[in-house]
Formats: sequence, structure tokens, C-alpha cells
Amino acid sequence: MLDIKKVKKDFPILNQKMNDQRLVYLDNAATTQKPKMVIETITEFYEKYNANTHRGIYQLSEKATFLYEEAREKVRIFIGAEKTEEIIFTRGTTESINLVAYSWGRKNIEAGDEILLTEMEHHSNIVPWQLLAKEKGAILKFIPVDKEGKLNLDNIDQYFTKKTKLLALIHVSNVLGVVNPIKEIIAKAHMNNVPVLLDGAQSIPHMSVNVKEMDCDFFAFSGHKMLAPTGTGVLYAREDILEKMPPFQSGGSMIKEVTMENTQFEDLPIKFEAGTMPIAQVVGLGAAIDYLNSVGMEEIWKHEQEIVNYALNQVRTIDGVTVYGPKEKIERSGVVSFTIDGVHPHDIASILDEAGVAIRAGHHCAQPLLRALGTEATARASFYLYNDQKDVDQLVEAVNKAIKILK
Amino acid sequence: MSISDIYREEILDHAKNPRNQGKLSEFDFEYKENNPVCGDTITLQIKLDEQKQIKEIAFTGGGCTVSQAAASMLFESVKGKTMKEIEKLSSQDVLDIMGIETLTPSRMKCALLSLEALKKGIIK
Ligand SMILES: Cc1ncc(COP(=O)(O)O)c(C=O)c1O
Repeated sequence: MLDIKKVKKDFPILNQKMNDQRLVYLDNAATTQKPKMVIETITEFYEKYNANTHRGIYQLSEKATFLYEEAREKVRIFIGAEKTEEIIFTRGTTESINLVAYSWGRKNIEAGDEILLTEMEHHSNIVPWQLLAKEKGAILKFIPVDKEGKLNLDNIDQYFTKKTKLLALIHVSNVLGVVNPIKEIIAKAHMNNVPVLLDGAQSIPHMSVNVKEMDCDFFAFSGHKMLAPTGTGVLYAREDILEKMPPFQSGGSMIKEVTMENTQFEDLPIKFEAGTMPIAQVVGLGAAIDYLNSVGMEEIWKHEQEIVNYALNQVRTIDGVTVYGPKEKIERSGVVSFTIDGVHPHDIASILDEAGVAIRAGHHCAQPLLRALGTEATARASFYLYNDQKDVDQLVEAVNKAIKILK
Repeated sequence: MSISDIYREEILDHAKNPRNQGKLSEFDFEYKENNPVCGDTITLQIKLDEQKQIKEIAFTGGGCTVSQAAASMLFESVKGKTMKEIEKLSSQDVLDIMGIETLTPSRMKCALLSLEALKKGIIK
């Protein structure tokens, strides 16, 4: 069992009042709070080890390089990749997907080709493909969601044609928490010779993930949504794919030799890490992974299931509240999206804020999904390992207060 | 920003029953503006009189309490005003019209959506 009292104490920011109320942070799908261990790792790095990586012939630089590369090894083990060459540090999920669209996409997508997405995507897995499609004259296709927000996979084969060059899809929905049946989808795509990019921004913080088992070709995620500092993210891709990809950004670090006319690029993974990277933050990502491992991903998932089911049961029964997402019991992470009849989600968020409860209101960067669900905006509470039933109680109380004021 | 200050009777009334909501049969300008934070949109129509003052104004589009009440209260107050007067309106003016002391930056965007639509519509 996850020791919630201890976990809560590990996050200094949670120990504060907001408008004289206990701060209840329920915007974890946007970004997560950082445990002391991560904050101290960054401080220690700056106090003891700070130097630029890879090129310095002095001990500080070697130590900084060691810590940076150690974080890469931690990521590799955490996601079950075979080689550290397959782990590329980026600024986040957005940059990881842009890297693939820019480098792999420009090389492999031609006029008339099809890129398959879903209606469930975050804008960061739509817009880069739109730009690429416009540039190349390619076509975007979308696997639809049903009214409840589940992917319509009944006839999944129909979406693959001879022209389909890539399937890029979300692993866990940031709006609904729906966990997509990724193994089946990837197997189908591969039967049709279509590689798959997974947006893992909302999966890897909450469940144990193994890229080899899922057999995805690309896996993108953000460090800051899994207790690590902002400015960190990862792109995993199979080595044979990365080898054939041209650079994304270019300049320092990623070169072996530069003449006035030409450049020989560094080997993987540095070939895709141009310029000075967020070194301290990446080291912080390594510490975040240590922390998650110390609690245990299975325990985190179980704990969140308890909290989200407790929340769903309560919020659903409030008069005038609509909860989005499938009603049947399916795999679902710790996200509750809801609306109150006749009340704009912004107003819900303002009144909850006054009650110390931080949630998000709006389209959650997934406008096509919200439209498919028949709304423009929802209020969203998203949970993480440090949330408990008391947090849910404070949320429910505040929702009732909002209804009283606004209806 | 105090909740009781924003969600008081007068504002809730304007938000629930916005004045000047609807469409004009004849108008001189139409302008659509959206709030990228939430995706709310407002479409505004304006009819001027001979002196180039605002004679009639109407808007459509849903939104939160703050944006709806702001549109309702602001547009009530601009009838008979000239373009010059409109251009001079500030965010403080909107707060004053609404009788709200302060708003958080994100809610300020909701309050100013209607003013932006009005100014851009007129310049255009
Ligand atoms: C599913 C999903 N994909 C992508 C992103 C973008 O992540 P980032 O802003 O860290 O690049 C997010 C987070 O907002 C997300 O929830």
C-alpha cells in the first residue's frame, strides 16, 4: 500500500494554504508537483557539479556528463528500451512529436500519403502533422471517437490503406483518462506495415510502461508530468529508425566534424540533442524516476484507481453534474472531466480556486475531442499519487458551493 | 479577486439574461473574436446613426459569467458613444462598468473579450 501521509510530506508545495483553505492540487494532467528529492537533486547539481556536458576535459564536466548520461540510463530502464541510443532528451512531448514530424516526416511523407490520427489527440499530436501534410500535400485521417469518448475500433482495418505511412495516437486521454487498447492497435498497424507513434504524456506518469512489450516505434513523453522539472521530455524511437533520420535542430554538440561546407553528425542519441541541453533538469528527471520507482508504479496505479473511483462515484451523483467518458468500467486513469448544467467551466474553476482547489477548465488542448463529446469546454480534476480522499471531499464540497452560487 | 464581488446578483443577472443578445437585421459592422484560453467566441454587430455614434449593438456567443456579463454591461453603456470614445475605453473602464475591483489575469481575458471585439470591429 502506498503510504499517502509520507508521500504528501514529500511534496513541500502541498503544505500551504490557498485562500485560507488547504491547497488541493488537482491539475496533474497539466503538470505535476515536485518531490523534495527532485528539488534537492537540482540544488545539489548546481552547488556541486554544474558544468557543460560532453566536451569538457576537466572533472566537473565529466561528472556533469556522467550524471546526465546516468539519467538517460534510468529512462531506458524505466520504459523498457533496449539501448540508451534510443533515448533522446527533448523539451517535452510537444518537441518530441515535432522532432518526428520534422525529421522522419519530411523524409518519409510524400504527396498523397496518409497520416492516421485519432479524434482523441492533444493538439500537440495534431498540429505538427497538419503543417507537415500542408507542406507535402499529404492527407490526415482521423479514427473517430464515439459519443462517450472511446475510440471506434470496430473495423480498425478500414483505416489503413496502401497510402498510410504513420499512425500517431494518444496512449491515455488527457481529457477523459481513457486508456486506449494500445497493444491491439499497434499489432493491427504493424500487420498493415504502418509504424506507430504513441503520445505517452498521460500514461507514463501513472502506469508501468514498456515500449518493447507495446512494440511502438516512437514513444513521446514529458518529464514535468511525472514529478520532474519543466524543460525535460523524451523521445524514444527504435535505433534502426533513428539511424535513418536526418537531424532535427543542428549546431553545437550534435557534430563530429564541421568544415565550411559540410558536417559529419554525432552518433545517436547526441545527433538529436543540438546545443546545451537542460542538464540539471535532466538529472532531476533521473531523480524523479528514482522516486517513482521507490513508491512503485503498480502502487501508484492502484492508489489512483481508488481515488478516481471514489471521485467518480461522488461527482456523478451531484444533481446537475455531467461526467464525461465511458460509463462502463474500462481502464481509466485518474481524470474526471465534468460540467454543471448551465454553468461555464471557467466559473466552476474560479469558485473552486476560492475554496483552495486547483482544477483546469477549458478545452484541454483537445478541441476535436470535446466537439465529438458535444461540448466546448469542461472542468477537469486530475489526480496523482499525492492526492487522497480528503482532497476529493474538498473538491466535492466546492462543486456543491459553485452550484449554490451559480444556479 | 473576491468571489462574492464577482458572483453578485447584478452580474449573475446580466450573465443569465444578457442585454442586447441576438442579431440585427441591418448593421454597419460585424466582428468575431475568440478567447484562446477557453475557445469562447463572441460575434458582434453594430449599427451607427448619422453622427457615427453607436445606435444599436447586438452580440451572439456563449461564455462564462464574467465574459457574458461584461458583454451585456459594456454594450449597454456604449450606446450613443462615438468611435473615438470607444477607442479610449480601457480595461479599467470595463471593471468600473461591472463594479468589480480586480480580476485574476486569466479571468481578465474573459472580461475583456467584448471590449476587444468592439475595438477591433470598429477599426476594421
Ligand atoms: C496527451 C498530451 N500530449 C501532449 C502534451 C503536451 O505536453 P508538453 O506541453 O509537455 O509538451 C500534453 C500535455 O499538456 C498531453 O496531455
